[in-house]
Amino acid sequence: MHAIRPAMMLGLVLFSVFGMIEGSFAAVGCDLNDPDRDVARLFPGATGYKTIYVSIERRGGPELLKNIEERLGDSFRGIYETIDVPYTIYEIMQGTERIGYIHGVNAKGQYGGIQVFLALDLNGVIQNFYFQKLTSRFGKELRSHNFGAQFIGLSLKDFYHYNVVTGMLDGNSTAARITNPVPEAEADFKATLRAVKKNLILMDEFVYGNRYLHYCMTCRAQERR
Amino acid sequence: MPQQHGQVLTAECVSKLYRRGSEQVAALNDVSLTVNRGEILACVGPSGSGKTTLLNILGCLENPTSGRVKVYEQIIVDEKKRLSEWALTKIRRQVFGYIFQKFYLIPTLTVSENVMLPFVFYRKHDAPADVDSILRFVGIEHRKYHLPVQLSGGEMQRVAIARALVNKPSVLLADEPTGSLDSTRTEEIGELFKQLCRTEGIAIVLVTHNLHFAQIADRIIELRDGKLSRPS
Amino acid sequence: MTIVHIACKNLLRKKVRSLLTMFGIALSAWVLISLFGFNAGYESSLNRDIDSLGYQVLVTAKGCPYEAATLMLKGGTGLRYMPQRIADAIAQESEVEAVTAMLMHTVFDPNKGESGGYSAYLGVDPTTFPKMKPFMEFMHGGWFTQPDALEAVLGYEAAELEQREVGDLLLITEKNIEVKVVGVLKRTGTQDDGTIFLPLRTVQQIFGVTDVLTGIGVKLKHEADITRFEEKMYRLPDVQVVTMSQVKQTIMTLVTTAKVIVLSIALIAVLISMTGVMNTVLMSVMERRQELGILKALGATSLDIFMLIWLETFVLCVLGSCFGAVVAVTTSALTDMLVRNILPYAPRGGLMQISMPLVVMTVGTVTGIGLVSGIYPSWQAGRVRPLDAIRSQEE
Repeated sequence: MHAIRPAMMLGLVLFSVFGMIEGSFAAVGCDLNDPDRDVARLFPGATGYKTIYVSIERRGGPELLKNIEERLGDSFRGIYETIDVPYTIYEIMQGTERIGYIHGVNAKGQYGGIQVFLALDLNGVIQNFYFQKLTSRFGKELRSHNFGAQFIGLSLKDFYHYNVVTGMLDGNSTAARITNPVPEAEADFKATLRAVKKNLILMDEFVYGNRYLHYCMTCRAQERR
Repeated sequence: MPQQHGQVLTAECVSKLYRRGSEQVAALNDVSLTVNRGEILACVGPSGSGKTTLLNILGCLENPTSGRVKVYEQIIVDEKKRLSEWALTKIRRQVFGYIFQKFYLIPTLTVSENVMLPFVFYRKHDAPADVDSILRFVGIEHRKYHLPVQLSGGEMQRVAIARALVNKPSVLLADEPTGSLDSTRTEEIGELFKQLCRTEGIAIVLVTHNLHFAQIADRIIELRDGKLSRPS
Repeated sequence: MTIVHIACKNLLRKKVRSLLTMFGIALSAWVLISLFGFNAGYESSLNRDIDSLGYQVLVTAKGCPYEAATLMLKGGTGLRYMPQRIADAIAQESEVEAVTAMLMHTVFDPNKGESGGYSAYLGVDPTTFPKMKPFMEFMHGGWFTQPDALEAVLGYEAAELEQREVGDLLLITEKNIEVKVVGVLKRTGTQDDGTIFLPLRTVQQIFGVTDVLTGIGVKLKHEADITRFEEKMYRLPDVQVVTMSQVKQTIMTLVTTAKVIVLSIALIAVLISMTGVMNTVLMSVMERRQELGILKALGATSLDIFMLIWLETFVLCVLGSCFGAVVAVTTSALTDMLVRNILPYAPRGGLMQISMPLVVMTVGTVTGIGLVSGIYPSWQAGRVRPLDAIRSQEE
């Protein structure tokens, strides 16, 4: 026994060196780089925040994924947009009162990942827009205040008019006012709108109790359910 | 070693003492006798009279406490001399054949293998022919491939005799050879012994309780309390 | 008929006992072969794991951060360079099996985070680097097509963060140069997961830093003395050495510990087997004293009887150990599985390595040990006096 114990300990050391090679890892999420600073900047008046972690897999599994895809009008694509992606929701507090949420999602841009964060009030209306990460030749234009300001005041209701596959916006939609500042950055612009719509749908599922579901024209089946 | 002249075995003033606790017991007491070529010598006497001890000493299986034993003219043991184990083994191989009451056949070997056994130790290579002729002589050739367990008592004793004869001994030492046999088989073995003496010139020393069987002997000696009560 | 024939027939007399003794010997042979097979397999698997760690020594320019995390903490600055010829000089050392040259470069990306961030690119030699990292497997794609191609291979996490797949583009923002993703690696659990690999020459050309390196990965020969090599490296001007000798030392300690345990168990198995053989043969001699005495009366010498009993032991040992060897070989896959379940850390690859020399050596050893165990009973048998047999008849 005495001879075996050091062997086991050494085994554990080795496991830590090699064992993790084949270990299991969760998919990458989307967190604020500096939450203290970013929360204060994105949500003026916030005095604190709580962090909630959710995933589609744990919340509802494949069925929920199917519903979300139906609302998005597109399926989750690629090897990184998976059911087990952990989503970090920052619940924003003012004293003891909850005043809103900040939530970010990853999107696939032309040259790299895009991280789109939205600050939302308690009704799911966008209060602020933030590209935490963007690799683009036109990063400056896309990250400009004017571009982000176009999203303020919009909610999921407005984005149901945006087709993430074709990139077409229904002219009557409030979201139609969002314009691409650089025509050459079309790919990143479309990815951004898709990310915003996906972000809002996830928040509606995870936080707002699907209060925007009835605005979804393609979601009749879900409503009936 | 085997010679053609008369005396094959000689025991002179042989005594054998055993220690039984603090007591000393004389198994043999000053026994002298000779065994001649081609004769049958029967040794009779009650149990514990020293018959088997005498046979063992004559057969070089045991040393006497005092006295002298000679095989032909070679002194096996006396007060001054005692042969080595290897020399005794050689004499046993060349001179003696042993027959026991319980036959002691090796149960896993066939009849012919049992008979051949001494050859394995002598490392002789002409064994098979000898074995066949000896098996024929003792009348058991037809059983050569049988195992001892498949034989009757008489047959087993014949195999034991064949095994004792296979090295062409000058002396056959038989300790109660018919002790496990019925009267018919005893008769048959008696006949066989007489035939061996006549045709092969072998001297036979047999120890027996069976006085009737002892009648096949040319001479009978009787041992009582380790002493010869009927001289040879 | 020979003495071997008699010995074999004797063994058949008590079949169950002979079989059980043989089974005991087979068990020892099985244990020995399995243990030594495990020892050999374990050692070679661990060595393979050491190999798969890639280079054991990393030589960097003095003051240059050698971990990506440190580099990022320093804000992507502080890279130091050393001339490329140092790599050639190191390759000439006798302890060295292979070297691979690396050049790390960082670029500032103003669109990262609120106030910009750094992206790091690691230029690697496409011919030597993959050999140094044999554990790297591709999830998609493969290594670069040309030594100076505008291509990138991404570690799993880098690809995940950048949402890149094979065929996608990456932008080196500062230089406004596009590179194509040609491969995405599987997770390795190392900092390589977060690395963007580019061909060494590409990095040198893009950033205009030809003939310099930031790191040299050195893989040493198995027998090499890492400490001595380290000292040699420290004599080179302006370099620092980072070794993984601690890990190798730990692994070697584990191998030694395993060896000690294996040898202890083997010794116990051998002792049990020896006692078993001695006991069985001695018992058989005791039971056959009469018969042995008769054999002596029939002309067998003490040596004949000794040889007879010793031959019986030999036959038991040879048959038993051969049977044990067959069982060990046929059940090695099962043993491998069981051992793998028991061990807290089992290296990759086969844990059982049963070779023909091992089988022959074990059969020989078990037989030899059996024969040694048989000496005492055989000697006892040789000492039986013919008279004992006849006396016991009278009793």
